Amino acid sequence: MLSSIFEPGSVAIIGASNNITKWGGRIIKNILSGFEGKIYPVNPKETLVQGLASYSSILDIPGEVEMAVIIVPSQFVIPIIEECGKKGVKGVIVITAGFGEAGHPELEKELVKTVRKYGIRMIGPNSLGIVNERARLNASIIGRLPRPGSISFITQSGSLGLALAEWTIDTELGLCKVISTGNKADTDDVDLLEYLGNDPSTGVIAMYIEGITRGKMFMEAARLIKKPIVAIKTGRSKRGANAVFSHTGSMAGSDEVYSAAFRQAGILRVENIDDLFDTALAFSCQPLPVGNNVAIFSNGGGASIVAADECERQGLNIVDLEVKTREKIKKVIPAFASTSNPIDTAGTVSFRIYNDSIQALHDDPNVDAIIIIYVHTLLSNAMPPAEAVVELKQKCHKEGSRKPIIACWMGGAGTEEGVELLKSGCVPNYPVPERAVKVLAGLIKHREFLETVKIGVEAKDKLGRCK
Amino acid sequence: MKILTEFEAKKLLSKYKIKITEGRIAGSPDEAFDIASRIGTPVAMKISSPDISHKSDVGGVLLNVKKEDVIKTYEEMITRIRKMVPAANIEGILIQQMAPPGHEIIVGLKKDAQFGYALMFGLGGIFVEVYKDVSFRVAPIEKRDALAMISEIKGYPILKGIRGRKPADIGSIADVLVYVSELAEKENIIEFDINPLIVNESGAIAVDARAMVE
Repeated sequence: MLSSIFEPGSVAIIGASNNITKWGGRIIKNILSGFEGKIYPVNPKETLVQGLASYSSILDIPGEVEMAVIIVPSQFVIPIIEECGKKGVKGVIVITAGFGEAGHPELEKELVKTVRKYGIRMIGPNSLGIVNERARLNASIIGRLPRPGSISFITQSGSLGLALAEWTIDTELGLCKVISTGNKADTDDVDLLEYLGNDPSTGVIAMYIEGITRGKMFMEAARLIKKPIVAIKTGRSKRGANAVFSHTGSMAGSDEVYSAAFRQAGILRVENIDDLFDTALAFSCQPLPVGNNVAIFSNGGGASIVAADECERQGLNIVDLEVKTREKIKKVIPAFASTSNPIDTAGTVSFRIYNDSIQALHDDPNVDAIIIIYVHTLLSNAMPPAEAVVELKQKCHKEGSRKPIIACWMGGAGTEEGVELLKSGCVPNYPVPERAVKVLAGLIKHREFLETVKIGVEAKDKLGRCK
Repeated sequence: MKILTEFEAKKLLSKYKIKITEGRIAGSPDEAFDIASRIGTPVAMKISSPDISHKSDVGGVLLNVKKEDVIKTYEEMITRIRKMVPAANIEGILIQQMAPPGHEIIVGLKKDAQFGYALMFGLGGIFVEVYKDVSFRVAPIEKRDALAMISEIKGYPILKGIRGRKPADIGSIADVLVYVSELAEKENIIEFDINPLIVNESGAIAVDARAMVE
């Protein structure tokens, strides 16, 4: 069971070290920093590791051990797994590298055979570990626990995967789980999708994928999950290798096929790293819109035009507002400003302007989603409009509104307080309008997936082949 | 691995309910004349050889051949190609109905290591060669997917009928896509093209096809 890896009652760290510049030292330090279950360092050369009694073998540990993190030289990994099996360990994370990725596929096969002999689930080898914020468990080399949230991030191993994980933590993106898959020798994307699909604390799945192996199963697993799955797949440029015989052969490179497969499975494929986390953030704190009719509200004309242009590129409709809505907005913005969508307050900013206008836009039945822009100037204050957005967002969404509110606070220095308020108020905020619009297009796309390709886990029995 | 001739590839298509232009392989000039007379002239004449998959590259395709030219064309084509590709095993010449006027479509399949089969759809000719205006799905697909696939290429308005042209029978293209997606696994395809599939207001018909099978 993968839950033994993510929610263990007890953890052994095999290859634990006192030296925190070594991975075996770093990981136990990370586990100690938050995890409240039992922690057992294993290192035959030490009696004490970071203040805990060290065992010379996992077999010497008196109590049960549910999960083990393995950081020993590759030639010792399989004998250690044998010991884990005898101890009754249910899940392992193998940090050690030097298997399939280093030209030793036979060793990797042997490793898989060994874990399966004992019914142990394994993440890795060549993994950077896992984080489960809900269990305050950081069994990884990632610097610290993330801010709590509902996004679970699966990343294929490698330094980019690590950098991405660190970066999401730096940007204070709310994360639930971070999983570095490593070589995926036992647990692969299909298993992880199934696990996260059933995980009540995961609301959004973000993936960084270099390649997958069980393609059909992967598609089926994704279709069964109604939670949004956002993925970046690298290696886009590769074309088919045997491109001589047919036209189709020359056109159907692996990238085109991945795109088709993702779409058929209801996985939102994004172009770049910004898009991946931008979109995941919006999914984690906004409802899905019913349609693609957008209202844009801004204190600067230029920014609202940029947003409107991007809406057109993304196939979103800048909707005509009801007369009643325009009258309500007219009351709070200057007489010379226009009340047609996209709305531009001609530079004026106040709590009331933003509050009353957003409320009016939200109440307009023609509007499915709202983009609120604030462009910082030396004469304006970023806080009052942010307060208005957060207040309304919380009120409307408490009332069950299905209209997402996406913010774009532009201008950097001077906007920090406002930006922080938006973040803590769970309003997705982006520094440029195009990113806000792209995210909204992603929310709409996922709603379409729900209507067309997603079948949900309740259909699993009927389908009868997803295992 | 085996490469099917056009004749074989199209036989495969008709097994899956896909309409093909009628034709038979002639082994002699007289036989060519007989076949042409039976299916109605003018005809298309195409070299049939398992060793020649790009027929027009060797001058192995002639269209709109009149009844009185069939015998002479047969003799000339065989002689020319024997000289150009002496090693090729030539079965004869495929004598075939001329395709009706319509839009050229390409439909193809490719075996994919991760996902099984990729199915491709696009407008043929320069649209596929230059603009690469094609769409993909992983097989198998349903008719709903096929219709989505057709509608997402940029050239879709052409099929719907522009400048007073009648709309093409899009449903018939969708049917072909579904049939092709069905045959992939059953026939152990490695790569496969119907190029062109001609579609007009009254239906779709496969005019040429090539296949590489396991």
